[in-house]
Amino acid sequence: MLSRWFIKTHLQYQSRQCKDEQIRKYQQAQLPLLNLPIKEAPLLALDLEMTGLDPKSDQIISIGLIPIINGQIKLNQGRHKLIKIAGSVGQSATIHGLVDADLQLALSLDEALQWLLKEATGRVLVAHHAPLDMSFIEQALLQQSEHANSKKCRLYAIDTLKIEHQRLLRKQPMIKEGELRLNSCRSRYNLPSYDAHNALVDALSCAELLMAQVSKMGGGDKIKVSELLS
Amino acid sequence: MDSTELQPISNFIKTLPPFDQLSEQLIEQCCQALTVVYYSKEERLVHVDTNEPQLYIVRSGAFEVTTEKGELIDRIGDGQYFGFSGMLSGEKIVNKVHILDDGLIYQLPLESFNKLRAASRTFDRFFNQAFAKRLRHQGELKSNNISTSRISSLISENMISLSRDATIQQAAILMSEKRVSSLIIIDNEQLAGILTDRDLRNRVLAKGLDGKTLIEEVMTKSPTTAPKDALIFEAMLLMSEKNIHHLPIIENNKPVSMLTSTDIMRSQSSQPLLLIGQIDRQTSVEDLIKVSNQLPSLLQNLISSEAKAQEIGRILTLVTDALTRRLIFIAQQQLGEAPMKFCWLAFGSQARQDQAAGADQDNALLLEKEGDSESEHYFKQLAELVCSGLDQCGFPYCPGNIMAQNPKLCCSLKQWQQQFTDWINAPQPAALLNATIFFDMRSIYGENNLFEKLQNSVLKQTKNNDIFLAALTQNATQQVAPLGFFKNFVVERDGSEVKGIDLKHKGLALINDIARIYALANGIKTVNTRQRLSALIGHQGINPEDINNLLDAAEFIAHKRLVNQGEQYEQGIPLSNYLKPSNLTSLAQHHLKDAFKVLHDSQTGIKLKFLRHF
Repeated sequence: MLSRWFIKTHLQYQSRQCKDEQIRKYQQAQLPLLNLPIKEAPLLALDLEMTGLDPKSDQIISIGLIPIINGQIKLNQGRHKLIKIAGSVGQSATIHGLVDADLQLALSLDEALQWLLKEATGRVLVAHHAPLDMSFIEQALLQQSEHANSKKCRLYAIDTLKIEHQRLLRKQPMIKEGELRLNSCRSRYNLPSYDAHNALVDALSCAELLMAQVSKMGGGDKIKVSELLS
Repeated sequence: MDSTELQPISNFIKTLPPFDQLSEQLIEQCCQALTVVYYSKEERLVHVDTNEPQLYIVRSGAFEVTTEKGELIDRIGDGQYFGFSGMLSGEKIVNKVHILDDGLIYQLPLESFNKLRAASRTFDRFFNQAFAKRLRHQGELKSNNISTSRISSLISENMISLSRDATIQQAAILMSEKRVSSLIIIDNEQLAGILTDRDLRNRVLAKGLDGKTLIEEVMTKSPTTAPKDALIFEAMLLMSEKNIHHLPIIENNKPVSMLTSTDIMRSQSSQPLLLIGQIDRQTSVEDLIKVSNQLPSLLQNLISSEAKAQEIGRILTLVTDALTRRLIFIAQQQLGEAPMKFCWLAFGSQARQDQAAGADQDNALLLEKEGDSESEHYFKQLAELVCSGLDQCGFPYCPGNIMAQNPKLCCSLKQWQQQFTDWINAPQPAALLNATIFFDMRSIYGENNLFEKLQNSVLKQTKNNDIFLAALTQNATQQVAPLGFFKNFVVERDGSEVKGIDLKHKGLALINDIARIYALANGIKTVNTRQRLSALIGHQGINPEDINNLLDAAEFIAHKRLVNQGEQYEQGIPLSNYLKPSNLTSLAQHHLKDAFKVLHDSQTGIKLKFLRHF
């Protein structure tokens, strides 16, 4: 209860403080979504591919987005953007299958962020292990900011990993390594394992997982957005 | 487009028939249009939006389609579809979709579905066929299904009849009044004969008889009849065999209606019938073999159309009978007329009319009298031609050599009678083993009264023959119905691997044994297990309820065996009689236990009845 009140207040505070117009718009549009049942709220599942795990030194390579509208995932609205990075894709190329050549067609980080904010406005973000993705976006927004002494703007999202963590702890005393990975989570809900990995497929995987979790928690019409947001 | 990167989805879709027939480009377009929805058991029903029909492609989970009233239409799992009926018929969706297991569904909107149908004929045909199959499941086409429908569904209850002492003018007036081509002629409620248009033409007008002639002088006396519960299919075969077009239908020894060939023509043609029609037209063994290649798919269709197990056995037997007759016909074209009267006998499952696909042949020849070397040679050649023909048509040679081509089984009536007498009087273990095969016999082709003579002499010796019946019972109860001490299933083990319950040898074969013992004890002539049991009802000392329970158990076990084999066939594993209880739902397990309990009780029953003196 306290955290829900806190999120609302914090969002209001941030949207007043924020100097960047696009970010402010996004923050303001979040407010009316908080009290909606999950099923009615427009959701946007997101996945980032990065060169590493440190938001300060590593970069975003690609962004996958897919919306969930009325409990349905519309594949034709799925989007995937590659981002130009400084230097080489390096180590992570082996994981994501992206090579430098692919990045020739990519957007600049600034263009990508503008696009992302526009897509996310009026929608609730969903991600698996959201804090990592959010911190990369927060960091990138801060770096791109034209305004001097801007503050980092905290982003809120529904984290399917956190939901799974809580649900699992209710059934078992401790969680073993690997049990919270996206595909392990999915198999618990009889969801197929998607073997290809790119940001769009992972966003879709995450979106399906959320719908499965929500239906097991009593259905999307009973749970409010603010109950899951963190 | 970005969605082309959703490879896991297109990879899945393009493996599914009929999507596997579509071009890459169409697959991409199709995947673009999909909506993904998760359904969990807790929601119980899939909410199907009538205004927005879609094709539901099941990616994972299990679903069940039922009618509004809850009758099961279809079970659907990974890679299968529902929702196409509404899109094809354009009718309002009334069926319900229950969620049996959590899962993910890809939904394709009507517009895209129609685009794919327009773009690919294979795609269109696939769903139209699935739709037709679904309708059959719902029973809407059931009346057209000759192979498993009964005569009773075709005939009207209003019998048009006249007494045998009416005049032919009265008959003609009644026929034109009622617009029928034939009359049933009765004598004291009993069937006396039939009178047809053709009789009036050939036996009255052509002969110049006047209208006052009595019907009994021109009618066809003691016509061929069929029981009311016969399959339409059987009636049709009877008509084509005897070249007649009118068949009086009998119930409780009284005529109830007339079935005409036109009645049957009106209901549609069907696959088994087509197959038998084809068999009857072939003039060479090679062509017969080609025609018999359709047997496996016929069986598969019958199973999927949910025909009753015993009816499937009957249909397969009818096909084997037709094949045998045709092979005899072809052989005789080659060898000429037989030097004496003879009868082609079938034993075992073909005789009982519960043949399974690919069953061995069990047959023999019954000759009028002992022959000379010339006739011996004739029948040897005949038997070899027919047996090898059956083998090539998918009914392999009998490993136990119970075949007409075995000289020991090509005997005169006298020799056969002696053979049976020997078995009955000295019921040694080997003889008893034979009994399970030879005491179920039926004439397939030839002189029927030859067969009747043999059967009568056998039944005369077995009826109330305590010693023989006790030996049979002893033998039949050595195998126990698979109920353990705690009424759990006793599951057979094959080495380390659990094979499951043997539905044939621990189930159906035991019921056949019980029916045989009762039939031989009571002098019942029919050989089919169900008919034997039904014929027992009303006999002294037999509880009709027990018999009805046994009939139900037989049908249930037989059905489970067929369904199990159908599943084995679909999974591409060799067909067997073993059913794994773990593959059954708890409800089906429960039913199966009940069925075996009934069987177990019947075994105890025959032990008490036939073994108590010893």
